[in-house]
Amino acid sequence: MIISKLEFLSRTQLDQETLEIWIGEQWLVPGETAGEPAFSEIDLARAKLIRDLKHDMGVNNEGIGIILDLLDQVHSLRQALAETLPSKR
Amino acid sequence: MKDPYDILGVARSASSADIQKAYRRLAKKLHPDLNPGNKQAEERFKELSIANDILSDADKRKKFDSGEIDALGAEKPRQQYYKDYAAQAGADHQYQNPSGFADFAGADDIFAELFRRQAEQSRRARGPDAHYRLSVEFLDAITGATRRLTLPDGGTLDVTIPPGIQEGQILRLRGKGAPSRGEGEAGDALVEISILLHRFFTRVGDDIHLELPVTLGEAFLGANIKVPTPTGPVMLKVPKGSNTGSVLRLKGKGVPRRGGAGDELVRLKVVLPTGPEPELETFLSKWAPRNYEPRKDMQP
Repeated sequence: MIISKLEFLSRTQLDQETLEIWIGEQWLVPGETAGEPAFSEIDLARAKLIRDLKHDMGVNNEGIGIILDLLDQVHSLRQALAETLPSKR
Repeated sequence: MKDPYDILGVARSASSADIQKAYRRLAKKLHPDLNPGNKQAEERFKELSIANDILSDADKRKKFDSGEIDALGAEKPRQQYYKDYAAQAGADHQYQNPSGFADFAGADDIFAELFRRQAEQSRRARGPDAHYRLSVEFLDAITGATRRLTLPDGGTLDVTIPPGIQEGQILRLRGKGAPSRGEGEAGDALVEISILLHRFFTRVGDDIHLELPVTLGEAFLGANIKVPTPTGPVMLKVPKGSNTGSVLRLKGKGVPRRGGAGDELVRLKVVLPTGPEPELETFLSKWAPRNYEPRKDMQP
């Protein structure tokens, strides 16, 4: 499911400028179709996580990048483990 | 539903700054994305969000304090967290980052060990069970028999049918199934029995039912008649004055069962002669029956 930039902004309640900063920081890495950014459900969930980190937990911008990087490592590890032990899931 | 002040761990007099501080402290600990795989944290975070939703809004907090809204507040359950996408088995996305373990010196060993353990388990596993169907002659099902089953691979299997076996019963032949892929025991052969119909016997529970044709004379005058049973013919005494529908019981001639056997129930059926019978004709035309009104019950 591809989500357009406009729809993404309205579903995350972000403004255009903030979104561009987030993409610039590589916190969000949307795909691209015909020169336009193309978002998906995972980008939407990730944007909500960034919003929670910033607004609900008061994490500053340096912290966000570190947390996202560590979280992605945890998830990749969990995924690798789950695929190795399909019966344990 | 718990009290939102208790969930956040603040006093009723707490300032909005205290509430925000308490919420942040707990959210950092309980946020589902920071606790992937911890269902309890997810549940507690849901409670926490609802509590914060009420207490962080001055208006809602006032309504709650005065009892106008309950602790459920305005619940807006969040459907999906980032973790629900990021670690799905088979998922493939741009945020994957294997650097957390790619350089593990022992990663190969860990996975090799996991695979080795799984292989060991399957090596010792029993072979699968094999399923067969066997049609059994009616009389064999009552008296018992041994029948040879020809397997799809050309082999044979001798099946001992116990006396009195039931339709649909499954016989388990231990170790006669498929061999283990490793060194485990072979599986079992499971043979489902279906019983063929008989020309004149029918089986009702442990009893055998038989409809026995008799002549007019045998029924009216009585007779000793040879009657088939599953274990061979026996002599049956038909009493004088029997009729179509009379049922005679041959005790113990039915299906063997624990501690005995069912019965054979013989139902008589009078069959009139079909060829020309001038004597009978002459007799009947002069015959004045004394009490013979078979349709008595049907009269209005």
